[in-house]
Amino acid sequence: MSDMITEEGVSRRSVLKGTVAGAGALAVGGLVGAGTASSADAAATKKVSVGSNNSDPAPRKNDVAWVAAAKTAGFDVKLNIVDHNTFQNQINSYLQGTPDDIFTWFAGYRMQFFAKKGLSTSISDVWKKISPNFSAGYKNASTGLDGKQYFIPTTWYPWAIMYRKSVFAAAGVDPKTIVTWADFINACKTFQSKGITPVALGDKGGWEAMGTFDFINFRTNGFKFHMDLTAGRAKWTDPRVQKTFANWATMFPYQNNNVLDLAWDGAAQLVLQKKAAMQVMGAFHASIYTDPADLADLALFAFPEITAAYGREAVEAPIDGYMLSKHASKNLVNAKALAEFIASDKFGKAVLKVAPTSLFANNKMPKPTDPFARSQVDLVNGCKYIAQFFDRDSRPDFAGTIFQSALQKFLGGGDPKAIATDLQAQWDALPPA
Amino acid sequence: MTSSTTTKTAAAEVTPRRRRRGHSFTKTDRAVLAGLVGGPTLLHVLLVWIPAFCTVALSFTYWDGIGGLDQIHWVGLKNYQQIFTIYQDFRPAVRNNVLWLGFFALIATPLGVILAYYIDKELKGTKFFQTAFYLPMVLSLAVTGIVWDYIFRTNGFVNSVMGDTSAQTATSWFGDPNKNIWIVLLIASWRHIGYVMLLYLAGMKSVDPSLHEAAAIDGATAWYTFRKVIFPSLRPVNVIIIVITVIDSLRAFDLVYIINRGRNGLQLLGVLVYDNIFGEATRIGWGSALATILFALSIVPIMLYLYQTFKRDN
Repeated sequence: MSDMITEEGVSRRSVLKGTVAGAGALAVGGLVGAGTASSADAAATKKVSVGSNNSDPAPRKNDVAWVAAAKTAGFDVKLNIVDHNTFQNQINSYLQGTPDDIFTWFAGYRMQFFAKKGLSTSISDVWKKISPNFSAGYKNASTGLDGKQYFIPTTWYPWAIMYRKSVFAAAGVDPKTIVTWADFINACKTFQSKGITPVALGDKGGWEAMGTFDFINFRTNGFKFHMDLTAGRAKWTDPRVQKTFANWATMFPYQNNNVLDLAWDGAAQLVLQKKAAMQVMGAFHASIYTDPADLADLALFAFPEITAAYGREAVEAPIDGYMLSKHASKNLVNAKALAEFIASDKFGKAVLKVAPTSLFANNKMPKPTDPFARSQVDLVNGCKYIAQFFDRDSRPDFAGTIFQSALQKFLGGGDPKAIATDLQAQWDALPPA
Repeated sequence: MTSSTTTKTAAAEVTPRRRRRGHSFTKTDRAVLAGLVGGPTLLHVLLVWIPAFCTVALSFTYWDGIGGLDQIHWVGLKNYQQIFTIYQDFRPAVRNNVLWLGFFALIATPLGVILAYYIDKELKGTKFFQTAFYLPMVLSLAVTGIVWDYIFRTNGFVNSVMGDTSAQTATSWFGDPNKNIWIVLLIASWRHIGYVMLLYLAGMKSVDPSLHEAAAIDGATAWYTFRKVIFPSLRPVNVIIIVITVIDSLRAFDLVYIINRGRNGLQLLGVLVYDNIFGEATRIGWGSALATILFALSIVPIMLYLYQTFKRDN
């Protein structure tokens, strides 16, 4: 497992490099787009249903945009958008009932889990046609444990420290000088003295702080230990976990006080309103910026280094995409045709129109021109390892209930030693995976 | 329970209507009786007892809810043993459920009864108060959540009055695991009081006015009349209110789920059941064990109380 994930990480990095470098594959990829278009002419309306967790306003627009594009390509897409958390929570019963033909999901452990359980239809034959659109790393990330493909990657985004350039300029802090943890704490002190909350954190949803945990853990103990820990090969009682918690605790004096009463967007608002200087967040932080002037002021920098040996070699960059449910076998031809459409640049171009800062897995998509999007690509290109996210890299019955609750306890001032012991005991009590 | 009482009354109605007391039943009578008794019983067994039994059975297993019955592994009492010893959210959940029950039983419900007592006196503005106290019950929980969020959020009403709304220093009412349960109990009581008041008021309106008069002639004060005459004569309403109080506090779920998904100080058994069975985790066996514990907790006090009440009646 360990090797596989690391390998996946490395190759995904080369994939992303391909995105930037890569107009090379354009000519080859063109075939796929053309194929979809011509078959679209043949059958006027190919009915396919799509289940989506994109209930937030910004991603909802993306859904509507690509569905409209699919319509002109001859698809009759029935789009079912479900509240994001509800969709996540009910995914098991949803997939076992009468799910939509295609549904939104993520690469990583959870994709492989559903594939293994037979709740997803393999699309290896579709991949034979679309593979020119993606570099090998994406194919790896779309492959189940049985070696077949189950996933169409669409977009990805990195996690980093989000900030407003004007706020940093006004406080006289240059983000380029924040390299080590000491630099970071010094910057926090500067903001604190100017009456600005240095770091905004919201963890009401339970998942948000996992991003900060992941960063501090792999910056402190290295990427391998982090992946071992999420997969259960390393123990929570390992003293290295205590180092992670101790490093995290040094950030606490510079955080807002209502961490457990704010969701991610509430904390992001603090940055938008210039009440806070930074937020450790996914690039979707940008989705709450409605004014283009504010958006132009938004920037990011890599999470600072903690242990010099590990530098800033790792980053979190989850891949989003689509899977076919097992129910799709009743509508296989149309569902696979739509999967092909989603893998084509028509999908990307439709989404790009409404979400210009999106980053696409498809290497036929043009290089991002938006500076914020460019900075995300550069960030990931500079990294050796890529993690998905705690809840995509670990067991759902651990990440979903047990770990989220423990992190909230830690953020609420709980004793990290007791929390780590309890975490290990609860991990050990899980049924064999 | 409920359906067996309804079938009894239904059967009781059939007999006098036909005026055949003492006679043997005709075939039609038997068919009607069988339908009236059997139908609801069958539904009851199918929809209540079989699922309840399955839940108890599943609580001795591991199952991730995917695949057929062959995927279920028997593990004996392991789930229970682990829930009681290592499940970190279990203790706070039990504590909160007990706290909720205690708060409702000792504060909210008596307050509702007292309000009903005063409103029943038909003082000036009674109609207004009656409506005002019942209003929280009419509002949807989503609205309730928003209203109270404006009051207790970091930059909300309470903190504004206290003069500190800074994200870094102000009190986080919903975020502090030692404070948020009290805020939630306040909100829950705000709803519960009006409900109890209305139920009790309806009961008091139905009390025979001659009881009041007789007590007044005997020289009893209003409060004494209420305690010694009205309150005892309202036993059916009292039973309902006590059962509602117990059930509502043990199955409490929605309010905390709206506030923070029932975590960080707001754990409740109902939430743990939901998160483990229906959440992404899907630990069916584990969740069923929690549900069985919750079931035992709710059924014991209610059965004890009903047993006491009906024993006295007989």
